[in-house]
Amino acid sequence: MTTADTRSGPSTSASAPPVLRLTGIDKWYGGVHALRGVDFELARGEVHALVGENGAGKSTLIKIVSGAETPDAGSIEIDDHTLSAGSTTSALSAGIATVYQEPQLFGELTVAENVFIGRELRRAGVVERGRQHDAVVSLLERIGLDPRVADVRVADLTVAEQQLVSIAKAFASEPRILILDEPSAILTEREIDTLFEAVRRMRDSGVAVIYISHRLDELAQITDRVTVLRDGRVVASRPTNELSVRAVAELMVGHKLETGQVQRTVPDVEPALTAAGLGRRGFFADVDLTVRPGEVVALYGLVGSGAASIARALYGIDPADSGAIRINGTEVSLRSPAEAVRHGITMLPANRKVQGVFSSKSIAFNISSAHLRLLSRAGLWMDRGRERSVARDFIKRIAIKAPGPATLVGNLSGGNQQKVVLARQLVERPRILLLEEPTQGVDVGAKDEIHRIIVELADAGSAVLVVSADLPEVLQVADRVLVVRAGRIVTAFGRGARQADVLAAAAGDDGSTGADETPPGNRSSTTEVSAS
Amino acid sequence: MTGLVQAVPLRRRRPVARAVEGQELALVVVVALLWLALSLGTDTFLTGSNLRNIVFGVAAIAIIGVGMTPVIVTAGIDVSVGSMVAVVMVVVAKLIRDAGTPAPLAILVAVALGLALGSLNGLLVSLGGIHPIIVTFGTLNVFRFVALRVFDSKQVTGVPDTLAWFGGGEAGRGLLGVPHAGWLAIVLAALMWCYMRYWATGRHWYAIGNDANAARLAGINVRRRTIAAYSLTGLLVGLAACVLIGSGGLVQQNAGAGLELQVIAAVVIGGTSILGGRGTVLGTLLGALLVGTLTSAITLLGWRSELTELFIGLFILVAVGVDLVRERRRRTR
Amino acid sequence: MTTKTAELDKARDEQPTPGHSAPRWTRPLRLVLSERVALLSVLLVVVVVWFWYLGQNDYLVAPYDADYLASALETMVPLCLLGLAEFIVIVSGRGGIDLSVGSIVSLAGMAFGFMVGQWGWPVFPALVLTVLVGAILGAVNGALIAYLGFPALIATLATYYAYGSLALVSNDNAPISTKPVQDLHSLTRAIDLPVVPDLPAQVLTFLVPCVLVVWLVVNRTTYGRRLYAIGTNDVAARFANINVRQSRFRAYVASGLLSGVVAVVTVAQFASARPDAGTVGNGMALPAITIAVLGGVAISGGLGRVAGVVIAALLIVWLNAGILLAFEGSDGSQFQLFALGAVLVLSALLNAITLRRRGGVPG
Repeated sequence: MTTADTRSGPSTSASAPPVLRLTGIDKWYGGVHALRGVDFELARGEVHALVGENGAGKSTLIKIVSGAETPDAGSIEIDDHTLSAGSTTSALSAGIATVYQEPQLFGELTVAENVFIGRELRRAGVVERGRQHDAVVSLLERIGLDPRVADVRVADLTVAEQQLVSIAKAFASEPRILILDEPSAILTEREIDTLFEAVRRMRDSGVAVIYISHRLDELAQITDRVTVLRDGRVVASRPTNELSVRAVAELMVGHKLETGQVQRTVPDVEPALTAAGLGRRGFFADVDLTVRPGEVVALYGLVGSGAASIARALYGIDPADSGAIRINGTEVSLRSPAEAVRHGITMLPANRKVQGVFSSKSIAFNISSAHLRLLSRAGLWMDRGRERSVARDFIKRIAIKAPGPATLVGNLSGGNQQKVVLARQLVERPRILLLEEPTQGVDVGAKDEIHRIIVELADAGSAVLVVSADLPEVLQVADRVLVVRAGRIVTAFGRGARQADVLAAAAGDDGSTGADETPPGNRSSTTEVSAS
Repeated sequence: MTGLVQAVPLRRRRPVARAVEGQELALVVVVALLWLALSLGTDTFLTGSNLRNIVFGVAAIAIIGVGMTPVIVTAGIDVSVGSMVAVVMVVVAKLIRDAGTPAPLAILVAVALGLALGSLNGLLVSLGGIHPIIVTFGTLNVFRFVALRVFDSKQVTGVPDTLAWFGGGEAGRGLLGVPHAGWLAIVLAALMWCYMRYWATGRHWYAIGNDANAARLAGINVRRRTIAAYSLTGLLVGLAACVLIGSGGLVQQNAGAGLELQVIAAVVIGGTSILGGRGTVLGTLLGALLVGTLTSAITLLGWRSELTELFIGLFILVAVGVDLVRERRRRTR
Repeated sequence: MTTKTAELDKARDEQPTPGHSAPRWTRPLRLVLSERVALLSVLLVVVVVWFWYLGQNDYLVAPYDADYLASALETMVPLCLLGLAEFIVIVSGRGGIDLSVGSIVSLAGMAFGFMVGQWGWPVFPALVLTVLVGAILGAVNGALIAYLGFPALIATLATYYAYGSLALVSNDNAPISTKPVQDLHSLTRAIDLPVVPDLPAQVLTFLVPCVLVVWLVVNRTTYGRRLYAIGTNDVAARFANINVRQSRFRAYVASGLLSGVVAVVTVAQFASARPDAGTVGNGMALPAITIAVLGGVAISGGLGRVAGVVIAALLIVWLNAGILLAFEGSDGSQFQLFALGAVLVLSALLNAITLRRRGGVPG
């Protein structure tokens, strides 16, 4: 995997002492061992990719570097000076700048003000707008944003532009170490190219960059070195040009025994759910899929692939604007959750905390909230006895660890909260069940149980569509895996697919095994949808 | 969300560098049209005394509004200003009547007292971690209690004209015949406008109103800025109280009652978002002027004066409604 | 969403559940500090016993006995009913609040005055219509807030002005106190019950039924579930197929309806339909919001109990009644203001501290 651009080469950076050295970093989250003795070195003037599957520990590691989290063991050294861990301010003053995925910007302030917020150029308290403006304009030119936006309110920018602004903000602090957390997930082709150009220029001026991405195909374009994390351990750290996309994918998934794959036969019946040519402007297009009763279909895609938007369109939360949806052969309109529910569709949302639980309320309240008509007399008076017994039933049936139905959901662990939200979808056995990231942030035990429940439901005749970025999960539960990239379904896999194949397909590797050449045209598939 | 962002069509950007926002321009137009219509429709509108009355009538509201604007911009609110006014008025009125306090000292006392009361609000909001509306509902009652204790069950009569400079009478008339109180409001608003626009710490108020947590992470001292906003409001309440005492005479026990809602109405009509993060003092000034013009118009047209509040209500709905539509259009662009 | 949230969640999940390691004896204290109803009940008992003791020892200007406490309930009726109205809209979330309740009381009260006093309608249909007028005025708020997306504070500030103005204009700023309206006073006469003599009739005819209905609606009906659900998390409510807008709209209708009831009671109590009944002085909205918040209704929505609001109203009314006896002249009414403000801020402060210690968000 060679790259088109010329660079100083790893030899020069290897000779220099590392600007950042992590040794033996350990981090526990309660019972979860998130990082296990991680050693990591970052050289001056290199772009260092940090890759790994969801939950491999990438985010934890960068949080520790940026001071947002305190490690349980290990040390952080910057230029051979130990950095006091767990302090964002000391990390900032050591020259570490982090760009998170969700931009931390102020919508009502201008781009220039956002870039300089908290450390404005001022004279006697007055912001020197002229100087800030000039500085920002040159910065924006560097990262490829129209310099005229310098005085535009951030709220008036697109999400991608906002992402670039937060990168500009990090650049402006003149960091020595720059951490980019999936900066490309929401950017367009052209924006990514300009961003890479800017990152290269930073690198050449001696800045060390940690680059986190799920898009393995872009590693070759921008990074010098790749460190692969798996289950909280560093499994490899090699120069990028020694690795192919396929090789990185293999390292990420490891040689896990792909157990738990249930051998199921799906009854060959008419599909319960059919989507034809489904699209939503700016999110996905031309989506064709079918889910039969008794079948588990997975939509697998990386962050920003649009897989989640497809599920939301099917639930009527963010309705599709083109194409047709048929349920049991009859065309239906799904413009709101109410309509979806009427057709026997329910959905487990991805973000438990924001979209799922009523955390200050009891388990019974949470489960019954979507079934008020069923659990009441005449749709008016709550049948509290039945409400409680339904809740008690589920606590037993899907092993929610809680004293009783009156326990507040906010006091439960993540896994048990997720089970409560799942129970809500199961009260009236759904004809079609949509699950978005069903086991995100859930411990291993609960994860297995949730997988078991999903399969049981399918066995009982529900059509199940799982949206997940968790590859082992997808391969374990799904009868078919549809890979979503850039808003389209690009390939399908049956049971027994290899993890690395699926990952490579989702990451943009179109099956060319060697992948020694990654011409820019490779990514053309991402742009075609946008032509609309 | 997705890698398809380029599908979003290019749209017109709203340049922020513009000195006057859309809402403010619209207000200027509305006020101008009202003035034009009233000058043509009535003989008495475009007279010196009537215009003076309008300006003097809203001066106190505008002065407090200059402080209320940053409070609301930080996503806060202060409903205790009416009671605060009462406290300052009764204390200062009694001082100048019973102790013969000279004007400079009286003003100093008014400002210091207001500042102290405002700081109490600010401390409770920022250090106590209580929602501002609850804090100020509480202090609304406590301040009113303090005021009534000082009143000692009697309204204050025979207040001398020590503070006549602020008043609506002859002695309060300033440049161009505009009352000093009006000039005071304009100067304070101009200072605050510059501060909120050009000073780093002034811009930080907007950042706090947008996202207080991100502001803290960006190194902004959120607590200090919050306390500053409430303290400033208190300080300006002190000045407004001087205006309301003005030429002296009578200070009633219900002084300042309901003033908080008038101030909030002026701020909101002026385009400041109650959700924080957006708004300017210029808008507040125009909002206050609109309220004053309405009041005057209804009197001059011989309508029932009670209708004034109906129109204030409608203007609040229109002003905020226009803003809502604009925001929605921006989101669904 | 991403791994970051997953890991954050994980971290949060693994935090020990609060209260497990505490020694047994601290539990009652913990209950009093964390459960608003328990705290208010204790305070209520302390206040009543204290004033009763003062009364027994001749510190008060009149006896603080059952008769006096019963008659003091007269002021509790509007306070408690409007407190419940605020409770409903605040629970509905999204910055829910209703500043217009006082103006609705004025306007619906004038409507009642016209119907009974000017047009000579029979009392009962007029009463029902008045409550309906309140509901319609509340529906305007609800439509502005739930369907058009106005912030509640703004919408109800506007209608506070508009309704108040209409009430004043309706009868040229003059009260209606014709004979039929004066006769309405019988609705609020004191009735002699064996245990509590001098109990104002409206406590039994209006307050108790309304409290019961609100309690039933909020705790026993599907609407109650929807109300708490949208207030706790309206995104999750949408995913759970709850009609968020309609539920929020109805909260404001309910608030208007309760204000309509207060309008009837107020007209009857004063034997006169006054155009400024609900807006004079600081108005009725501010004390009502204060009572709701004191009763433990979280301003962020989704949390609060009917019992809390009722006990808060009772506490304030009996505290006020006691204060009135403890001072000469108008001093008492002044100290009432102080007590209200201080109790509100202190209880909110207490809430913030206990919540912060338990790792929650202050409301």
